Amino acid sequence: MNEHIASIQTQALELIAVASDARSLDDARVSVLGKKGSLSLAGAAIKDVPKEEKAAFGQSLNAARTAITSAIEEKQAAIQQIADRAALAGIDITLPARALPTGALHPLTQIRDEATHILRCMGFALADGPEIEDEFHCFDALNTPADHPARNEKDTFYFDSGKLLRTHTSSVQIRTMETATPPIRIIAPGSAYRRDEIDATHLSVFNQLEGLYVDTDVTLPDLKGTLEYFFHEMFGTTTEVRFRPHFFPFTEPSFEIDVKLQVKGQAPRWMEVAGCGMVDPAVFEVINSNRKDDALNPEKLTGFAFGMGLDRLAMIRWGIKDIRLLIENDTRFLSQFA
Amino acid sequence: MNISLNWLSTHLDLSGKSIAEISDLFTFAGVEVEGIVTKGISSEKIVVAQIKEAIQHPNADRLKVTQVDCGEEGLRQIVCGATNYKVGDKVPCCLPGAKLTEDFTIGETVMRKVESKGMLAAAEEIGLPKGEDGLLILPEDAPIGVPVKSLFDSDVLLELEVTPNRPDLLSHAGMGRELATLLKTPLISPESPLASTKQAGADFIQLESPDSCPFYSATRIDGVTVGESPTWLKERLTSIGLRPINSIVDITNFVLHETGQPLHAFDAAKVTGSLVIRQAKDGEQFKALDESVHTLTPDDLLISDESGAALALAGVMGGIDSGVNETTTSIILESAYFTPSNIRRTSRRTFLSSDSSYRYERGIDPQGVLPAAALAIKHIGGSSSETEAAGSLPLPPSPVSLDLGKLQHLLGNSISTEAAEEILTRLGLSKLPVGTWQIPSFRQDLTRHIDLAEEITRVHGLANVPSRLRGTFAATSAVDAAYDADMVLRRRLAALGLYECQTIKLISETQLPDILPLRPLQDGDLIRVKSPLSEDHAIMRPSIVPGLVASAERNARQQVKSLRLFEMGRVFRNAGGGKAKDQESDNLALLISGSTNPSSWAAKDRATDIYDAKGVLSALLPGHTISLKPKDRENVALGAEIKAGDQTVGFFARLLPSRERSLDFNSPVFVAELDLGKLRKLISRTFQVEELPQFPGSTRDAAMELPIGTPNAAIEAALAKAKEPLLVSYECFDLFTDPSGEKIAADRKSIAYRFLYRDPAKTLKQKEIDEAHERIIALLGKIEDLAFR
Repeated sequence: MNEHIASIQTQALELIAVASDARSLDDARVSVLGKKGSLSLAGAAIKDVPKEEKAAFGQSLNAARTAITSAIEEKQAAIQQIADRAALAGIDITLPARALPTGALHPLTQIRDEATHILRCMGFALADGPEIEDEFHCFDALNTPADHPARNEKDTFYFDSGKLLRTHTSSVQIRTMETATPPIRIIAPGSAYRRDEIDATHLSVFNQLEGLYVDTDVTLPDLKGTLEYFFHEMFGTTTEVRFRPHFFPFTEPSFEIDVKLQVKGQAPRWMEVAGCGMVDPAVFEVINSNRKDDALNPEKLTGFAFGMGLDRLAMIRWGIKDIRLLIENDTRFLSQFA
Repeated sequence: MNISLNWLSTHLDLSGKSIAEISDLFTFAGVEVEGIVTKGISSEKIVVAQIKEAIQHPNADRLKVTQVDCGEEGLRQIVCGATNYKVGDKVPCCLPGAKLTEDFTIGETVMRKVESKGMLAAAEEIGLPKGEDGLLILPEDAPIGVPVKSLFDSDVLLELEVTPNRPDLLSHAGMGRELATLLKTPLISPESPLASTKQAGADFIQLESPDSCPFYSATRIDGVTVGESPTWLKERLTSIGLRPINSIVDITNFVLHETGQPLHAFDAAKVTGSLVIRQAKDGEQFKALDESVHTLTPDDLLISDESGAALALAGVMGGIDSGVNETTTSIILESAYFTPSNIRRTSRRTFLSSDSSYRYERGIDPQGVLPAAALAIKHIGGSSSETEAAGSLPLPPSPVSLDLGKLQHLLGNSISTEAAEEILTRLGLSKLPVGTWQIPSFRQDLTRHIDLAEEITRVHGLANVPSRLRGTFAATSAVDAAYDADMVLRRRLAALGLYECQTIKLISETQLPDILPLRPLQDGDLIRVKSPLSEDHAIMRPSIVPGLVASAERNARQQVKSLRLFEMGRVFRNAGGGKAKDQESDNLALLISGSTNPSSWAAKDRATDIYDAKGVLSALLPGHTISLKPKDRENVALGAEIKAGDQTVGFFARLLPSRERSLDFNSPVFVAELDLGKLRKLISRTFQVEELPQFPGSTRDAAMELPIGTPNAAIEAALAKAKEPLLVSYECFDLFTDPSGEKIAADRKSIAYRFLYRDPAKTLKQKEIDEAHERIIALLGKIEDLAFR
């Protein structure tokens, strides 16, 4: 009888050995271990085995079953391994990706956010004001006389109502000081308008960032320290910063700020990046008389203000040669900022 | 303003100073150097050479090999292509190392296998005016070997920007005075001839407007010859870019740029009786010498005469008929002080400006009026009568006190009192015994402590002031919160594959059909600028969408296949037909069109449809149910209010197909304009997390067939109405139509939903799920003409 089981086992192992895929292996398994498989049928014969031989018969039956089962498992693993290898071999990782759409923030948003981030870390809070302004907030309160050259229809957009499009974000200084109680420490990024023909270096609508700090002890060292720090954060701590005397009607003394930067392939040169100065006491006086109080007493308070062109900072940061790229929204340009 | 360095050097000794040093000096005086133009030859390495021999180049028909004497030992071999010289001529030779332009320096080369040790040059190659073709032939007596620059005049033209508070710098004398102060070098006193002056008789000057013209002087000069100016005068004018006109006009221009005092010369023969300085009559006509015609107002000041003729628009421009020309033999020379604001108003209103008005409107030195006239009289020659003057010069500026305590505070104690006072003294101020400072007449801008502090700071230099880093605490503002919310939205949109745009906030009439304001506009709600630069930028945008459409059009022309754009920013309108004025608010606009994915081997190209657009809106505001509620607008298709829950937050539409065609778009263009104020609030929602379900849920499907025109909203409305407590969520997972009518009637659609039922407290029994689903089915079944499949 044992010879019979031995021959089933031999045949089964041969079948398993020649099985080349999952299906032929399964056929082999069914033909041996299935309900009507050869080993199952042989096992059924145990009832005819004499009692004293039953134990030995059972043992050899089990041994055959174990051997066959483990052969099947081994073969299964081998077949799976081949299949896995084949599946992986078919993948060409050098084919291009299935692209996801990319988007990007506009470079002006990015530079504005960077500047805003630096200044908010320095304790400046954001402020805002209307873009359609009146002459008082845009000029009068900023110590700009009624017949000042900037105040004409050649340079400034006016409306029939007599209002105008603000020519600078400095009007937000006035809007803030009209209602706030010092100390005041604000920044105001926003649009400004000038009646300039649009060309490679001019936009009729451009973007500025205004800053104002008014308190009891604000001095030129504060102005210098604050703006040096800002431009070091913006352009690197080793960047040279210089303050050139200048003139603005609403600050005195006034300065323009240059940073020394290297554009690729050129010698380093000074680039104008901002204007600044100490708030002219006349500005405080106008606001006081308008507020009908003494909240901005020029004998007690001093302040500094600054303004910078965000379009210009963006152009410097990324080597943008034509300012119009900033408003044309060509996605070949915008996608570079993703 | 243009300054000639040669001219400036007549006022102070600048020898030994490089252009860079002088430029820095201006920069730190507060005068911006906008340009530096070097005239003449700058390099020392361009020398006089004599051509000793010229033979044919062995390998080039058009070249000669010359041997030239540059005053060195032996001759120098140079290959040259010119033909206009003969052996023995003297020409400029650029030696190796001669820098001709910023990026061109001469070196030794080999030209077609023949050595060439330099370059023989044409006039324009070494920075001289272009002469005859070929080499510049130098005079026979030019000494061999000397730098050619010594044979020609050279000069540097500085283009300077003088700030409006410093009219005293608008002349060579004034600029010289400032530089001498900063350099602490002596000022070479300009020639200042004295002229005697007498009170004007009414037969010569009638000053009727002392407010606009406090002081007017005039000098009659007879026996003048008007012709070409002498060389020195023409050179002075051309050195600062002015065109010589005639010997009289040139002198007045010279004096203006020398002293800063504008002068005007009338042809005496064209003046009837005395000069009358008066306000213009309302509507009076004036034809300026540039032939422009102006209608004047009583605000404008005229130089007239007893005939009433308008001879000149005072301080701005002469009249066309009263000027000096070749036939003039007698002139009347004007030197006056006009009130700055008056000149500004007239110049601004007439759009006329001149070198004279530029200086008058900023304020001239009252003490310079008569000396300038005397200087001009001296140069004009002829026989001059005594200068007559009417009115009186403005009073000298009042003394100003300097608060030393405030000064030290401002400068962070970085300057000593002595040093501060020394700066003021150098600038021409003098300390009075009472401690205040006397201001020189040419510094009318110095009236307050802070003006003196500015002067001290400027000369001291901010480089000498310490830096301090400190600041007070500032609380976060509402603007901060809005800014942060906007950045969140921007980043979300960028992550959804949209590009942020920035468009001009002024739009054109032709863009108006694209506007998508949150509330429709009435007549009078548009805000137009009074004098736009062009019709393209004439209207304040009431909506951002037109800008995005224009950007999309530009990109489509560049064959960009997928357009996903957004912009945030201010929009402007009136309301109530113009009753409420100048309303500004912040909007967000989106534009989505073109293919959904870049063409790829891996994905099939598909045109963006309305559900993609709706998907962007939903992803922008997670946690809110975004829906579109149809609302017709004439200028767009598929117009709909955008709802977040029950709140209307914007307007959505597709451009009219006709508009899409006119823009050459071949796929639908979806646009939306949203109220940023509302979005900021929506994204700052606070919430408590929902607990994760403890028990499994079960799904049931329902396939329905209904008229193709029944909106999906009918199903959603029925489901909302059901208020079924066990229904957790549902999704629409299939939609099928068949225009051919084979599988389903062409006017019907099949739609399939999957419902998820769950009880948060227990595992639902089969029966409970079935009953809940039955309730849902029953309600859906009430939808008109709906059948379950």
